[in-house]
Amino acid sequence: MSLSPVDGAALAEIESGGEAGGATGAPQGRRVVGRSPGQLAWLRLRRDRTALISGAMLVLFVLVALAAPLIELVYGIGPRDQFQHKLDGFSMPLGYAGGVSGEHFFGLEPRTGRDIFIRLVYGLRTSLFIAFAAAVLTAAIGVVLGALAGYLGGWLDAVVNWITDLTLALPFLVIALALTPTLTLRFYGQRDAVPPAFGIGVLIAIFAVFGWTSTARLVRGQVIALREREFVEAARASGAGLGHMLFRQLLPNTWAPILVSFSLAVPQFITSEAALSFIGVGLTEETPSFGRMIYQSLDYLQTGPAFVFFPGVTIFALVFAFNLFGDALRDALDPKSSR
Amino acid sequence: MRPRVVAAASGAIALVVALGACTKNTGEGATVDTGRQQTGVIATDPKDSMGPAPAVEGAQPGGTFTIIRETPISHLDPQRTYSFAGLLAAPLFARFLTTFKDDGDGNLVLVGDLAETPGNNVNGDCKVWEFKIKDGVKFEDGRPVTAKEIAYGIARSFDPDLAGGPTYLQEWLADTPQYDTKWDFKANRTALPPGLTTPDDRTLRFEFARPRCDLPFAVSLPATAPLPPDKDTGVNLGNAPFSSGPYKVTRYQAGVEIVMERNEHWDAATDPVRHQYPDRFVWSFGPTPDAASNRVIADNGADQSALSWNYVPASLVARVAGDAALRSRTILSPTPSANQLVINNQRVTDLRVRQALNYAIDREGLVKVLGGQHVAAPMTTLMPPATIGYQAYDAYPAGPNGDLDKARELLGGQTPELVLGAADSSVEQQVATQIKGNLERAGFKITVRNIPDDAKLDEIKKKDNPWDLYLGSWAADWPSGASILPVLYDGRSIRAEGNSNQAYFNDPTINAEFDRVLALPPAEQGPEWAKLDERIMREQAPVVPLYVDVAYLVHGSKAGGIFVSSVFGYPSLVDAHVKP
Repeated sequence: MSLSPVDGAALAEIESGGEAGGATGAPQGRRVVGRSPGQLAWLRLRRDRTALISGAMLVLFVLVALAAPLIELVYGIGPRDQFQHKLDGFSMPLGYAGGVSGEHFFGLEPRTGRDIFIRLVYGLRTSLFIAFAAAVLTAAIGVVLGALAGYLGGWLDAVVNWITDLTLALPFLVIALALTPTLTLRFYGQRDAVPPAFGIGVLIAIFAVFGWTSTARLVRGQVIALREREFVEAARASGAGLGHMLFRQLLPNTWAPILVSFSLAVPQFITSEAALSFIGVGLTEETPSFGRMIYQSLDYLQTGPAFVFFPGVTIFALVFAFNLFGDALRDALDPKSSR
Repeated sequence: MRPRVVAAASGAIALVVALGACTKNTGEGATVDTGRQQTGVIATDPKDSMGPAPAVEGAQPGGTFTIIRETPISHLDPQRTYSFAGLLAAPLFARFLTTFKDDGDGNLVLVGDLAETPGNNVNGDCKVWEFKIKDGVKFEDGRPVTAKEIAYGIARSFDPDLAGGPTYLQEWLADTPQYDTKWDFKANRTALPPGLTTPDDRTLRFEFARPRCDLPFAVSLPATAPLPPDKDTGVNLGNAPFSSGPYKVTRYQAGVEIVMERNEHWDAATDPVRHQYPDRFVWSFGPTPDAASNRVIADNGADQSALSWNYVPASLVARVAGDAALRSRTILSPTPSANQLVINNQRVTDLRVRQALNYAIDREGLVKVLGGQHVAAPMTTLMPPATIGYQAYDAYPAGPNGDLDKARELLGGQTPELVLGAADSSVEQQVATQIKGNLERAGFKITVRNIPDDAKLDEIKKKDNPWDLYLGSWAADWPSGASILPVLYDGRSIRAEGNSNQAYFNDPTINAEFDRVLALPPAEQGPEWAKLDERIMREQAPVVPLYVDVAYLVHGSKAGGIFVSSVFGYPSLVDAHVKP
């Protein structure tokens, strides 16, 4: 990497004595080990217990989501299978705690009699995919626009800012509600089946269109702060092109806030997906999703707490793990920021 | 710090699990018998139409009766009201030509309200009807109600600015659905519409071009409430209706509250059904059905004499029904609102496919998806059990869960691909998903196509709508087959838009049958409609009857005299009283 303030800070930390030497058991102060900022961040992350635990949970969630069909095979119950004969006359599951048994680990949904565990596994898959895809897209759009606007300034900066303000001013829910049926009609006839992938795509697109502004502003601010620094001037004086300036000089120094905003965006999209699916935007009833499950379960807080408990705890653990990991990542990437 | 947080979190989790797990649900006490028979007659003896109404056991005057409801009543103007809440609120402050004596158990008697009898069929051909108006009925300012004010009330419902109410009388008098072009109310304020006359102050006379044997039922709707011309405030009448009933509106806060207090000019001796027990009725709007139910269950303060107007939400049913202490404060009753899986007969022309659909349907599973027996009761007939003359039958006996083999056999190895249009509301999505799974097990290929919730009704009422199946429901305006079968299945009435015949079913022999039965005297029609109902299902299977809504209501410990109207399926307030 090029000469940058992050390198300076990292060197200072290593020189002040510490874990690097201690970990390898080498005599103190023998020589300075050269490490890239990435390696340093990784070291700090590994030392952070919160990061390790939350990271492990995230890996677990991702693995579960990826292995959903495998789990279905082992578990023997599909996400659309119904067990209505195990419901009573009020459509509540028979047995203890909402029908928890060796056969149904988390019990059954009231009314439909579907297995909560396997729907959670598939819901995780849907929700994580939407959230990751949307977060990647928003980060990409935000970074490119923000960096260009910040570095080039002038009329481009004005235009990007103007678009940002416009996007922020658009009423998100109203547009999401109005857009979905229109888009559906544009692509599918009145009698065509609308595949779940379309709903997922629409959700991701809506999140991408509305979600990039904060990243763009963040990156623009960072780039403006950096663009007059010596190392940038030096690179410019050496005749570096726009691409090199942006991607080799400026962005590497803004990765920390970008990664943090990415890690915070993912849980935000998970909960937004939940809310939007509930009001009928995006996913249909057939697609297992956290959102529908949680909002349908909320009505049963008094009568079927188990139905609220399992999806609730799962989404809580997921979002919590993401937030903790995001925090830890920020600490690791940017140790100067105060805790 | 950290260990404590962990301990607190795991404690909370353990608590929730323990709470959920501490009782085992064995499914006991969840069965309910909702099959009851409606008996209905038209009172011929004028004594039946006389007041006072028999006293309600244990009822005492006094107190404030509160009704909690999520959305406001759309119109209080009797000529414009057509919502269930409006239809059942109107008897408190308005009287009609006829009304139903209803015991809440399905025993209905149509009696004269303002009229001395439920109508006199002058020539026996249902074309000329006369109503004698009772003596001693007064408005809230003390002046007597005469045939003139009733006729004026009917005349003003011709005004397109005052639309929203039922249109039977207007269409029958004008003999055309475009009644407002035939007779213009605004240009003839002092005259009466064609066919409507008042030979003297106590006689109201209808003359129709065609037999209208259901007139005695049709005039039981609030549109026949009287109004003196000088009290007509046009569109503003809804904020302060001019009362002829036991209560008058004393406070109207749009969308928030309506207060009704006693009308001292109402004479119990003239009224066969209404009472005047509470000092006032308060309609309070805003709380969701969940919140209203929980408030009434909590039974604190003024809520002790309150009624939650909306049915107990499906998610709360288990709690309310499982609590023995609440049993005396709940009312369970089937309603006349019938729900069908409507088959678009223009698209699904193969009778065997329609019959296979009828065999395949799993009504028990469907009722469970809706929330159980306290929310819906399965139905196999076109007319709901709450119809006069109803006869139970099952043209396609398939047990509670459907006969998949029989359905497959009828399909003969084919896989019909059908598109089910479903509103994108939460409940209808679940129902559609359930039906899709159910029918696909029987060998159909079902595509669920979402329709925006607010547009669905308009879309399926279009003749050329693109779907094969959709969910439909029908709540008749009076419990006679005449307001159900010809309205829903007479193919001659099919238009480009706005169809009630959403099955687009058109069969000349059945149409002829409709004409034949409609010309019979009202009292003889009941059994004929029941026979025709079964014939349509056996021969044509134009829809799949699914279920009737079940009313499940909860009220405070001091609220008494509430029963579910056998006509409309929502609580009737004529017997309501506050226990001391």
